[in-house]
Amino acid sequence: MIQVDALNKHFGSIHAVKDVSLEIPTGQIFGLLGPNGAGKSTSISIMTGLIDCDSGSVALNGLNPQSKQARFKIGLIPQSIALYEELSAVDNLSFFASLYDIPKNKMSERMDWALEFVGLSDRANDRVSQFSGGMKRRLNLAASLLHDPDYIFMDEPTAGVDPQSRNKLFENVLKLKELGKTVIYTTHYMEEAQKLCDKVGIIDHGQLLALGTVDELLKQYGGDTKVSISSEQGVQHFESGDVSQDLLEALKKSNKVYDISMHRPDLETVFLNLTGRQLRD
Amino acid sequence: MNKMLALMKKDFKLLFRDKMAVFFTFVFPLVFAFIFGSIFSGDGGGSKALKVAVVDLDQTEQSKAFVEQISEADEFTVTLSTEEKAKDLVRRGKRVAYFILPQGFGEDYKGVFAGSPPEVLVGIDPSRKAEAGYLEGSLMKLGINRFEQAFSDPTAMTEQLDASIAQIQESDDIPDEWKSLLNDYLPKMKELTAQEIGNGEGFGFGGEDGAENPMMPLKVTKQEEVVKRSGPQNAFAITIPQGVIWAIMGCVIGFAISIVQEKTLGTMNRLIVAPISRTQIVAGKALGCFVAQIAVVTLLFVVAYFVLGVRFNLPKLILAAVASGICFVGLMMFFASLAKTERSVAGITNAFLLMMGMVGGAMIPLFVMPGWMQAISNFSPVKWAIVAFEGAVWRDFSYGEMMTPVLILIAIGVVAFILGTRMVKLEQA
Ligand SMILES: Nc1ncnc2c1ncn2[C@@H]1O[C@H](COP(=O)(O)OP(=O)(O)OP(=O)(O)O)[C@@H](O)[C@H]1O
Ligand SMILES: [Mg+2]
Repeated sequence: MIQVDALNKHFGSIHAVKDVSLEIPTGQIFGLLGPNGAGKSTSISIMTGLIDCDSGSVALNGLNPQSKQARFKIGLIPQSIALYEELSAVDNLSFFASLYDIPKNKMSERMDWALEFVGLSDRANDRVSQFSGGMKRRLNLAASLLHDPDYIFMDEPTAGVDPQSRNKLFENVLKLKELGKTVIYTTHYMEEAQKLCDKVGIIDHGQLLALGTVDELLKQYGGDTKVSISSEQGVQHFESGDVSQDLLEALKKSNKVYDISMHRPDLETVFLNLTGRQLRD
Repeated sequence: MNKMLALMKKDFKLLFRDKMAVFFTFVFPLVFAFIFGSIFSGDGGGSKALKVAVVDLDQTEQSKAFVEQISEADEFTVTLSTEEKAKDLVRRGKRVAYFILPQGFGEDYKGVFAGSPPEVLVGIDPSRKAEAGYLEGSLMKLGINRFEQAFSDPTAMTEQLDASIAQIQESDDIPDEWKSLLNDYLPKMKELTAQEIGNGEGFGFGGEDGAENPMMPLKVTKQEEVVKRSGPQNAFAITIPQGVIWAIMGCVIGFAISIVQEKTLGTMNRLIVAPISRTQIVAGKALGCFVAQIAVVTLLFVVAYFVLGVRFNLPKLILAAVASGICFVGLMMFFASLAKTERSVAGITNAFLLMMGMVGGAMIPLFVMPGWMQAISNFSPVKWAIVAFEGAVWRDFSYGEMMTPVLILIAIGVVAFILGTRMVKLEQA
């Protein structure tokens, strides 16, 4: 379980994280959804012990993230591709593995597993500089899993990734959950949050605006489904909480219906309703 | 410790993947030492002038003119000096040789047909056989001019002839047959010369080369002046310490960049989150930089020893290498703490080191610098590193003398390291 209590962090005059409190049960995928500059990376940096907060606390099963014990359990996948481009995939992995007291005999086993996990076994000896963007992202993940961490912090792991690698990464995240890991996943793609996360926190200007399962958030902040019917009478728009009922009635009054379109509320709508702005501009 | 070694191993791998870094750290310094060493050690041929000290004890018109000739000759770079000083300069290896024109030089110089050839005393170290031969040849060539002058200036020659006739009359050691022959010949010669004066034009000596003339142009007397071996054995003894500095600069820039690069790449964040302390991270980088420096110093001096014939005192060399290693590791940390991007750290480090290198003797050897520049050089850590290496190579420092540069280097290193580690922010956020 990850417990985050009333975190605050300032950078000069910027209040990057404002009173953020969270609780993430072990084995869940938690999504932190927010636009650029919302404070996602800063929150993750504090939760992984990378930077100090001004006030508040973080506990990973009761451990301070900066303690040595906790460090063996933290896996951080940085937002940037934190790899040595001029080294091969294997050289990168063996260097990062060497920081974690992994027994010599288990070392190559762990590296093989990690490469297999992200689907890069056949490129193990190639230099990272020769990898595609998607492959680099996948190796960026593999490099953080060598020591078999319990808490996995993924900071926008799909940034700049082709659909194929993206799907592979989604599989990886779900697989990690199957393995019993706790995953914190930041993104500004609401589809990703919707698809992967057990629970989502919506963050903007450092503030956690809403917290809950996707369904809870949609119900609470999503509003009604938008329906439009185009017929001989022209185009007709309405919002509905009970689409099947309302649509049937509307159709009865229309002649020669050309087209029906519906827009169910999604996390984008939720964000719009919460902030009056689009998630991505 | 294992983790620090892993960090170091990784950094070396990265360094060797970077072809430019390898070139500037390992190849360029060797090329520098080799090329400049070869230029400076040109064996006196061609335009390379031999430095000589000239002492004119005669102070006559002729001796002064001869000194003038030596000064103008391409073969020599001349310093006028007193006998005492000239000997000292040669003994200390500051000049290759000295020439002394003794009293009576002018008198003998004028005597083309009689008397003894003018004497020049040449003081040179007996081991410098090649230079000695070359010097003698060059002097002879200049000496030949005296015939040419005598014969091409009829007035001077007439005077000469008169003097010679008188001399011949007086001398007892010339056989009578010779006396009469010369007495017959010389006045005729004088007549001829007088005619020439009437004609108003000089007559040349014929072939410009008077080498076949049976009379010796000069009498070169060699004096052995044993040089106290305190100067550099050869030019490489100077350029190798300079090359070492270039190599060390390569290491400093490489590792300063590598620290900043870890930050910009985000790999530093991986290190910080891992169970390795910040002290270990910093120490790992420092150790890497230190080992890289020791490696290049070793490489350069191995080549210097086996290929370029440079000799050195090994324990003192190790002392110099360790001290400069500490100094430049400290500076590396300091530079790494100043900049946020690879470009700026490379720029700052390059600019600083190049400047320090220039005033510190990495390009122009310290001992040929003008005084004001030598004074400035005291502020350059590069100077002290070079002095330390030179102390082990040719300055023949005692351990006491080694302590000055060594302690200065260590002090600079420690201060810079403390400042650097205080200021450096490892995390990127
Ligand atoms: N080191 C820093 N110094 C100053 N300001 C910072 C620093 N790091 C972050 N900030 C500021 O804090 C705020 C939150 O930044 P953060 O990187 O956490 O956002 P984010 O949600 O991760 O954004 P993105 O989606 O672009 O990665 C921003 O306004 C940013 O400018
Ligand atoms: Mg971010």
